[in-house]
Amino acid sequence: MDTYLYLDRNTIVHRLDPRTKIFLMVGSFVMTLLFMHPAWVAMALAVVLIHGAVSKSLSNLKRIWWILFMLFTMGTILWALFSSGPTPFVGPIEWEAFLFGLGNALRIDTMIIAGMIFLSTTKNEEIVLGMVKLGVPYRFGFALSTALRLVPTINATVYTISQAQRSRGLDLDSGNAIVRLKKNIPLVVPAFLSTIRSTNVFGMALDSKGFGARPTRTNYMRVGFHTADWVFLAIMVGLLIPGIYLWAMKLGRIPGLTKF
Amino acid sequence: MLSVDIRDLSYRYRGQKRPALQGINLEVEEGDFVVVMGPSEAGKSTLCACMNGLVPHFFRGKFRGEVRVLGRNTREHSVAEMAEFVGLVFQDFEAQLFSTNVALEVAFGPENFCIPWEEIDQRVRRSLHLVGLEGMENRTPASLSGGQKQKLAIASVLAMEPKVLIMDEPTTDLDPISKLGIFAIADELRRSHDITLMIVEHETEEAAKARRIVLMKDGSILKDGPAHEVLREVDLMESIGVQPLGVPQFFHTMGANELPLTVEEGVAEFRARGWRIDEAAYEALRRRDAERARSYGEPIIRVEGLSYSYPGQVDALRGIDLEIRRGEFLAIVGQNGSGKTTLVKHFNGLLEPTEGRVVVDGEETTKQGVYRLGQKVAYVFQNPDHQIFSDTVYNEVAFSPRIRGCSEQEIQQRVKEALEAVGLVGMEQEDPFSLTKGGRQRVAVASVLSARPEVIILDEPTTGLDYAEQRSMMELVSRLNQQGHTIIFVTHSMWVVAEYAHRVVVLKDGKVLLQGATREVFAREDLLGETFLQPPQIVSLSNRLGKTLLSVPELVQCTCAGG
Repeated sequence: MDTYLYLDRNTIVHRLDPRTKIFLMVGSFVMTLLFMHPAWVAMALAVVLIHGAVSKSLSNLKRIWWILFMLFTMGTILWALFSSGPTPFVGPIEWEAFLFGLGNALRIDTMIIAGMIFLSTTKNEEIVLGMVKLGVPYRFGFALSTALRLVPTINATVYTISQAQRSRGLDLDSGNAIVRLKKNIPLVVPAFLSTIRSTNVFGMALDSKGFGARPTRTNYMRVGFHTADWVFLAIMVGLLIPGIYLWAMKLGRIPGLTKF
Repeated sequence: MLSVDIRDLSYRYRGQKRPALQGINLEVEEGDFVVVMGPSEAGKSTLCACMNGLVPHFFRGKFRGEVRVLGRNTREHSVAEMAEFVGLVFQDFEAQLFSTNVALEVAFGPENFCIPWEEIDQRVRRSLHLVGLEGMENRTPASLSGGQKQKLAIASVLAMEPKVLIMDEPTTDLDPISKLGIFAIADELRRSHDITLMIVEHETEEAAKARRIVLMKDGSILKDGPAHEVLREVDLMESIGVQPLGVPQFFHTMGANELPLTVEEGVAEFRARGWRIDEAAYEALRRRDAERARSYGEPIIRVEGLSYSYPGQVDALRGIDLEIRRGEFLAIVGQNGSGKTTLVKHFNGLLEPTEGRVVVDGEETTKQGVYRLGQKVAYVFQNPDHQIFSDTVYNEVAFSPRIRGCSEQEIQQRVKEALEAVGLVGMEQEDPFSLTKGGRQRVAVASVLSARPEVIILDEPTTGLDYAEQRSMMELVSRLNQQGHTIIFVTHSMWVVAEYAHRVVVLKDGKVLLQGATREVFAREDLLGETFLQPPQIVSLSNRLGKTLLSVPELVQCTCAGG
């Protein structure tokens, strides 16, 4: 079972320099956070989705749709409940509060999708290299990519362990929250121990391959700026400048909203 | 010139009472090929870790003596410094691969040593060519088969162009032909690149390819000599729990002084001595097989037209038909990735067919679910550490009856029975994590036995165990079969199949290639080769003599030495 998000596709986005991809992701975050009104956030979402479509990485949405859906519904409801406005809408929720909830939930989903597109189009090694080229120390970049790599590894281990425990009669789906939490002990203990064990081997393997043997290292992966990078950067800057101008003009907000 | 020079080496891990190594003296010439063998806890992996300085730099403990590799004292050089000359391939090949594609994985080592780009590129190509992975540069390591992953792990170390290459059990988990493939690579390296090789290996048939064998036990070297000499020390090997090679073991049992080592030598010696196979004794064995086959009960598992595909991947199983009767002892074999584990996961409902159906005890598995099926069909996973979580052996074994709502008295009774069956009575209050791998494997078996299942599935029950532990594990499984349990096990270990299974199903690319009584299946050596399997040496010898005998005692029993 392949649990990496990276999709090995030969698209123009995949071929971009990792620094460009990092900038596109951060730019998408900024664009999303500039506005609060859901209609404006939806425009940022549309840009992110176009980015996803060009990079042929939207198929990964299928893998995270449940998280997106839960965050969207729960986020909308909670933020709406914890804010208010002058116009009544449904029950205790006012229209402005609803817009605020919807806008925030959309923001979260948009940022997750932007992050997903980044991970779907950028190899771990590219992330490290991009960060190194931006001045981040190699060890730090490598640690970050290791953390990213551990997620699918732990995922796969937990899957095997849950199959082993289900075979012994463990039923993870019944009972109240506390009972279900307790039922996870047979998963957590072996998962924790085998992760520690494999992390230990990982550490030994790193040392044995000369990790940190020299102050600098060669990068086998070659990256560089090409025309496409400049075009993508120009598009992002071209979106951000008017975006920031509109934000400064106090557009894209929700009039009458009171936050708690 | 000496590649490795170890003098009076002793090492004790911090917190351990017993030293892992004591009084080790070992000299290895440049270009030599040494295989280290010994039972579990002999200190083999610790010895490997000493070669590149992981001991004493990575592990904490008490180090005495001196280890010099290519003249460098490992105490005075860091692991990263030693890594430029000493390559180490670990047993756990999953945990040592961390790149997102094959080429980057291989490039990682040379990158760390600031090798120029063009040189790295050449090394990547060369190393992948050497292990037979060329053309796979852009694949993710996760998408490779077990054998390919191990080859990748080796290539990633070769790219650093080490002068000394250490491999710690590189063939565990591989099918027989992939095992030979690893040793073929090793041999090629030694001949064409003048690399000094040291390989830790459990399986004697592979070890026979070495020039020199070192036998270890309890942290010390018991025997060190040319492979052809050590392999003839049948009694010594048996006494320390290392499996002797089938051919010399047979001739040794027959009282011969000159022991042949290979199948060809064995056939020639057998004929030269005027020995022959006793037809009557052979027929008696075949009659016993037939009687046993007649004694099985009604079918308990029926597989009809089963196909399965993992989401977004090719078909793992394609149209399997199979019937398993009560009381059978069935082995499922096939090369890495042939669908063995996928097939058996259908028997307890962990997987549901994409097409076709699986019927257990008269009812389709999809209608029963894992929880209900778990009472009839138990599944022991390959790695006991994926299921053990309790603080005592008792609680671990009591887990299954407890969650099924049995009374405390009933639980006590079941735990007692299960621990008796696996030979762990008296260990109830032990911490399962303090046991050896073999001990933990027993706890895992006991913990499914306590559900009182009719069928027991074991996935690679002998992986990671030494020869003595493998034997004792399989004797236990065999006893469970005699007590009436139906046994289904997945394995790569051909001698285990030959000596214990009654019937064998051979899978290839998700289909049944061959099935039948063990003796019939092992007679088809040509067909087995197609699916990367190879009978044990002793079976090959008997096949060459015209009859299929499955173990040394069987061949002894059927040999007429009187001329």
